[in-house]
Amino acid sequence: MFSSNSNRQPSSGRLWRVIAVILACALVAAACGNDDDSDGASVPGAPEAGDSSDDISTPAPTAEPGPELSGTIGFIKGPHSAMEVEFNDQIIADFNAQVAPDVEVEFSTYDWPVHVAELTTLFASGSPPDVQYLVDLIYPAFAEQGVLHDMTDLVNDPDWAEERANISPFAWDLAEQQGGTWGVPVLGAVYNIFINETLLEEAGLLDSWDDSYESMLAAAEALTTDEVFGFGARTSAADFAWWDWYPYIHNAGGDVLSDDWTECGLVGPDVVDAMQFLIDIHTAGVTPAIGSVDNQGLFDLFAAGRIAILHHETPNIVALNENPPDFEWTVAAAPPGPQGHTVMGNFGILSIAEASDNKEAAWEFIKHWASAPQVGRFAEQVSLQVVRTDILDDLFADNPAMQRVQSEMVPRVQGLQPSPHIIEALQAAWPVVEDAFRGNRTGEEAIAGMCEAIDGVLAG
Amino acid sequence: MTHIDPGLTGAQMTLSSEEHRRLAKRYRRRTTLTAYAFLGPNLVAFVVFLLIPVVWLLVSTFRTGGVLGPAEFVGLDNWRDTFSDPLARTSIRNTVLYSAMAIPAVFIIAMILALALHAIPRGGAPIRVALYLPTLQPAVVAAFIFTFVLHPDFGVINYAVRWLGGDPINFLGDTTLALPTIAGIEVWRGTGFWTMMFLAGLTALPGELYHAAELDGAGAIRRFIRLTLPLLRPTFYFAVIFATIVNLQLFDSVFALTDGGPVNSTVSVSLYIYRSLFLFGDIGFGATLSFLLVITVLLLTGLQTYLLRDRK
Repeated sequence: MFSSNSNRQPSSGRLWRVIAVILACALVAAACGNDDDSDGASVPGAPEAGDSSDDISTPAPTAEPGPELSGTIGFIKGPHSAMEVEFNDQIIADFNAQVAPDVEVEFSTYDWPVHVAELTTLFASGSPPDVQYLVDLIYPAFAEQGVLHDMTDLVNDPDWAEERANISPFAWDLAEQQGGTWGVPVLGAVYNIFINETLLEEAGLLDSWDDSYESMLAAAEALTTDEVFGFGARTSAADFAWWDWYPYIHNAGGDVLSDDWTECGLVGPDVVDAMQFLIDIHTAGVTPAIGSVDNQGLFDLFAAGRIAILHHETPNIVALNENPPDFEWTVAAAPPGPQGHTVMGNFGILSIAEASDNKEAAWEFIKHWASAPQVGRFAEQVSLQVVRTDILDDLFADNPAMQRVQSEMVPRVQGLQPSPHIIEALQAAWPVVEDAFRGNRTGEEAIAGMCEAIDGVLAG
Repeated sequence: MTHIDPGLTGAQMTLSSEEHRRLAKRYRRRTTLTAYAFLGPNLVAFVVFLLIPVVWLLVSTFRTGGVLGPAEFVGLDNWRDTFSDPLARTSIRNTVLYSAMAIPAVFIIAMILALALHAIPRGGAPIRVALYLPTLQPAVVAAFIFTFVLHPDFGVINYAVRWLGGDPINFLGDTTLALPTIAGIEVWRGTGFWTMMFLAGLTALPGELYHAAELDGAGAIRRFIRLTLPLLRPTFYFAVIFATIVNLQLFDSVFALTDGGPVNSTVSVSLYIYRSLFLFGDIGFGATLSFLLVITVLLLTGLQTYLLRDRK
């Protein structure tokens, strides 16, 4: 018996060692395979997952290992790509390789249409993920309710001053509200227009369609046929349609809230005219029936060559590059208005939950995620904009549309007002716009109705 | 336990009135305790998962906050806001309108189908399965299915409309059509369930009454009105109450199909509660709307119980 057992034990131990070695080899091979399977986008200087920091040409400020960091942190983010998990796994692998090998990062995603509800539930649970990606539309309400950690001291750390300076001041303005700093700005989403260049060129309108609102409406009318809609934009709150509405209002000098955020900011004749133009273009018979096609449906119609001028979002550039339509296309901004030529964009910050019990590791992870190599690679992978100024020249080398967005549109971005009440104000006012787009209100009536709803929200 | 001596005569076996009372009392106590023992788990669940939350809901109607931050007492502010909020009124109107459309429609269709199925002596099972399938579809799946039915571009109905020379119908984008369309989809989902319910009721009806009525010369319509409908009263009683409770809580199909739009024409009370609680963090307001919904359901159930009571 003894001899039998003593013979079996070493044999079993060897077997396990062999299995362990095979598994380790398989994992290494899988990791290498993942790198190869990534979409190939790379920022000059960006490391591949697991590479040593020696390969980073753009110095990563967090490359110095944090020896005491350990434990687990949760990180939650809305998806910007079907490969969101893989892309973040790359970032996490680099974090473990370069910064904190003993910190386990548990990544999860929330669902955009219900992300406020999901995050509210997570915060209410008392144990939310340590790090959250929050957009400027929603974080102010969470900050107001005290569930986000004020990161003022962290972002003003002298050791991080150079990195802080690389992030645009306008992005910091969006993250610094209510007397605190609620996150590190990392990404931006610009709401651009896609145009079917082939159709516009055939109609002789390629160079003139965006001269003014009138020329855009005229072009939309000229391009509309039984098969093609001249213009398309989102119209329902469920699709966050206000992103397509904002630039016309900003170009007219208006905004949802007044400068001090205490009352409706949709004032002045230019704002009324802008609203009237939007009503006119939606009632001119150049768009799909209002409310009949959702966000994705509109883009699908454009990709099928059935919408000539479409308001949408830059992540769809990936879709057009991967599955090129049988026409020429490019990106553009809405025409200039009487008081400006803005582009709408909203921005995302990385925040730390006040309830986090591992804020130090969370901060190190945020610094790593926001560093040039990581955020640059991710932005290229998902076709989003960055708010860092030091990597602009290297980004989107093989993506002319994104180059144009980044160089021509991002500097014109006027974002939303990060008030705690902004989402409720938009939700309350938007049905008025929906009604107006159906031809039931004039521009003046629509603005008056919106202001009534917005003031109602602000009055509590 | 009382032991009876086998040698006692009948007169001697008679219990004294005091002993009878004592034994009866003991019997009642034992049966009562047994009943409570069986009811206990359910009562605990009722108290923990219903009574306490409803009381807590009532308390929340007088407060604000309490989920992400501390709660604050605000008196009757939430109640004032609820009754003065135009969207709250719109959501109540939409919910009542939807129920008024969906409940009678699904009952009439289900009853016709149940009568037809009842008349089929053999081979009805495949039809019953086919009828019941829509009930098994979650709202999201139903929404997806109806995209291919209602879509203005490639939907089956609009394809037919265009083929016939008409203009596409904007079912979910038209403010006057969106709510009836959702009601129609819910009727489609619910028809199978109610058909089976009514069919079960019909199957349980006593056949001899129908034979007697037939011999007396009563026609099919007369038999239906004079016999079937009165005899199905218990089934209708359950159906009306259950359908009212379910339909007043309309949420999933609205959430999946229109998110309350267009122009708030499909905002239901439940959707507005969801938005208030989870989107705007307005806990007190959402709690007040929720409590109103609970009270409305209770009142309507009471009213229906009164109207449908058995008037023997």
